[in-house]
Amino acid sequence: MAIAKTRELSESFKASSIRVAFLILVIGVFAMQNPAFINGASILSVIQGMVFVGIAAVFLTILITSGEFDISVGANAALAGTLAAQYVVAGEGVADDRSPWTGLLVGVLVGTIIGLINAFIVLVGNVPSFIATIAMLFIAKSLATYIPGGKPISGYRDSWEAEGIVFRESFFLKNFSIIVLIVIIIVGHILLKRTNFGVVVSSIGSNKEAARTSGTQVKRVKTILFALTGAGAGLAGAVSVFHFGSIYFSLGQGWELTAIAAIVLGGTSLFGGRGSVIGLLFGLALMQTIASGMVAVGIDPWWQTVITGAIVLATLVVDQLRRKVT
Amino acid sequence: MTNKSDFALEMIDISKSFGNTVALSNVDLQVKKGTIHGLIGQNGAGKSTLMKILSGLYPSGTYTGQIIVDGKVAELNSALDAQSIGISIVPQETTVADTLTVAENIMLPEMSRNPLKVYKKSGVVKRASEFLSSYNIPLQPDKLASSLTLAEKQILMIARAIYLQPQVLVLDEPTSSLTGDEIKNLFEVTRTLKSLGITTVFITHKMDEIIELCDSISILRDGKIVCQIDRSGFDVDELVSHMIGRDLGDLYPPQHRVGQDAPVVLKVTDLVVENPRKPGQPLLEPFSFELRQGEILGLGGLVGSGRTEIVKALFGHYKILDGKLEVQGNPIQTRSVSESISHGFGYITEDRKAEGLFFNLAIKQNFTASIIEKLTRASFLQKGEEKSRARVYLETLQVKPQDLDASVSSLSGGNQQKVVLGKSLITDPSILMLDEPTKGVDIASKAEIYKTIVEFAKAGYSVLLISSEFPELLALSHRVIVFSGGRNVGEIASGLENEKELMLMAIGATKS
Ligand SMILES: Nc1ncnc2c1ncn2[C@@H]1O[C@H](COP(=O)(O)OP(=O)(O)OP(=O)(O)O)[C@@H](O)[C@H]1O
Ligand SMILES: [Mg+2]
Repeated sequence: MAIAKTRELSESFKASSIRVAFLILVIGVFAMQNPAFINGASILSVIQGMVFVGIAAVFLTILITSGEFDISVGANAALAGTLAAQYVVAGEGVADDRSPWTGLLVGVLVGTIIGLINAFIVLVGNVPSFIATIAMLFIAKSLATYIPGGKPISGYRDSWEAEGIVFRESFFLKNFSIIVLIVIIIVGHILLKRTNFGVVVSSIGSNKEAARTSGTQVKRVKTILFALTGAGAGLAGAVSVFHFGSIYFSLGQGWELTAIAAIVLGGTSLFGGRGSVIGLLFGLALMQTIASGMVAVGIDPWWQTVITGAIVLATLVVDQLRRKVT
Repeated sequence: MTNKSDFALEMIDISKSFGNTVALSNVDLQVKKGTIHGLIGQNGAGKSTLMKILSGLYPSGTYTGQIIVDGKVAELNSALDAQSIGISIVPQETTVADTLTVAENIMLPEMSRNPLKVYKKSGVVKRASEFLSSYNIPLQPDKLASSLTLAEKQILMIARAIYLQPQVLVLDEPTSSLTGDEIKNLFEVTRTLKSLGITTVFITHKMDEIIELCDSISILRDGKIVCQIDRSGFDVDELVSHMIGRDLGDLYPPQHRVGQDAPVVLKVTDLVVENPRKPGQPLLEPFSFELRQGEILGLGGLVGSGRTEIVKALFGHYKILDGKLEVQGNPIQTRSVSESISHGFGYITEDRKAEGLFFNLAIKQNFTASIIEKLTRASFLQKGEEKSRARVYLETLQVKPQDLDASVSSLSGGNQQKVVLGKSLITDPSILMLDEPTKGVDIASKAEIYKTIVEFAKAGYSVLLISSEFPELLALSHRVIVFSGGRNVGEIASGLENEKELMLMAIGATKS
């Protein structure tokens, strides 16, 4: 038993240690070019830069582990955030505004509904999830643009200001988005690695028939995962409005690719069966470090995208090779 | 009147169709409590379909008829429903979650029922290992399922079903990828369960297994129950003729002579094959053999003796570390599958699920997949020719349904195997390597496949044959070379009378 325990620990350590070493290497390279890269402010900006897409990517990781996909997370966040903002700043004046906290609930609710619609199309209509959620991406994105008439919605926190609550001076409020990310990562990690549910999800992604023969209600589990993914995306949108006090319809643009890249970098298999939320955290950190680092050392923005893509490719190749050996 | 507790299960008037195919019509099946009941019938007779209905994999509403379990009417909408009234199944197809460990696979049904319970790897491994050792099942609980052999995966599925402590255990061709000791172990386990009052439904194509294990059997033919027979009435010839609706005649075709003067087609000298699980290491000690034109050469041994790896190396799947290969006297190498095919090798896999078939394509396209270049003219596929080439094999191999457009995923297991066979025969290989060619095939079709193999050799082609069914191996091969304990331990002449000698050599009990 003790042996099994230590082996388990050493395995997960080995897997993550390679990633951490890589991350430190990347940080080191940038810091050599520009020492200002590792001061507190820039670290915080790296973290802040990955928070929203990170919130949306946690349950997406678990969904991908089950062998399904959701491309609509970014558009979902935009629509959920927009509706949350509209709900909070509904009336004529500040007095009519609702509490910014209620917007978060609206965002989660909208996201969940979108997730459930995705589940319905995929599981009842038998449409591959990749295609179904691309369609949802377009629909949600269009609605998020159309509903506010293509204009930003601002003044989300005006009611607090009127009450004298200064957002920037409250440690809790200022860092609320980071706290949400930490909580959702812990929840996601526990769900995937520390509950039976996580094993069942992996089994579905690995071999659907094996899961079915074992008595798993595959469609029910997948419905839950689509709903959770939607809820996570909606929450990400709402937390973004909450943090910035306003929303523009371009929110969430490109999240799907960033999220999937970070998920893959974190060791989750795109074919399902194997996933890691802690790995995702690493993937996000790496993506964001590289993005910020390239700005810090002044690399041409055009090249930044190319380099990001190359790193994702390299990780995929390494991942494949590693899988062949074991 | 029977007491309601006499039968563990009754299936009454069950009918099911897939589109136009009638898989089952008005089937009645009754199984007495605490017995081992055999279910036999030809490929496509409906055995698996009936058992999938019983285990909830085809939900209530997709068929007509009634299921009564332990005297109570049961409505089964999922495997979970079936499990909750004590029915668990080991399906015919390999269904194992590769990215999970052995222990997780075994405990999957339980975990699926308690999704919010805390998962602790060490606890799961511990419980699985206690269970495995209590039934003497030789699996390592913390191993990843992807690293198991096909036979081990089969054993894993059996363990998963037994772990549920079922009242009725359904085994759909569990022995088709097992050999000798593994089968003995399985029978032992089944008898232990019987002594505990548990009922087993056992599907197989091997008559000796029926005779050894079953208390009674039901015979299915073309979706109907032909008869139910108790142990006292077991008679192999009679069972077979009930199954196929006529007398079988000879199972094995007569063998043709291959003279010492027949040219050597393949000469293998001191070959060293790489161990696919340990790169750079040899799998077996160096070995040599010759294969003559028109000869069927058997490779004998237990599962895991390296026979599959040898032919896979010849087919370019695995690396050859050392030694010489000559085809028709010319030195060659087999570094890739296409290189191997160009030297005239053909290979039929034992693992059709993983590497044999395109499941979502039609029979036609599966047959012609490897000759697609020959069927295209100016990059256009000649559909007419594709059809006529495929039809030849559809007919000689008696695939059911006789429909080139049927999708392979809709075929019964044995009929899928026939498609695997045809897919390779169509490439016209001069050296055909067959790895368990009759796995899961019914006895009448076996006779057909044997005829096809022998005809093929008679026409001047050569065959390397691997089979875990020793009678089949000894009856078809001109001679058998035997592998045991990591090396070639000798050669045995053809003939059913040599079965015992082959067995002893395979387990390493005699030296050459
Ligand atoms: N999913 C499906 N779609 C269409 N036809 C099917 C499907 N499953 C089975 N069939 C057909 O139903 C019939 C019965 O098939 P089944 O798998 O029950 O046979 P079986 O007795 O188990 O044969 P085998 O010994 O080869 O395993 C066959 O004609 C088969 O082609
Ligand atoms: Mg079958």
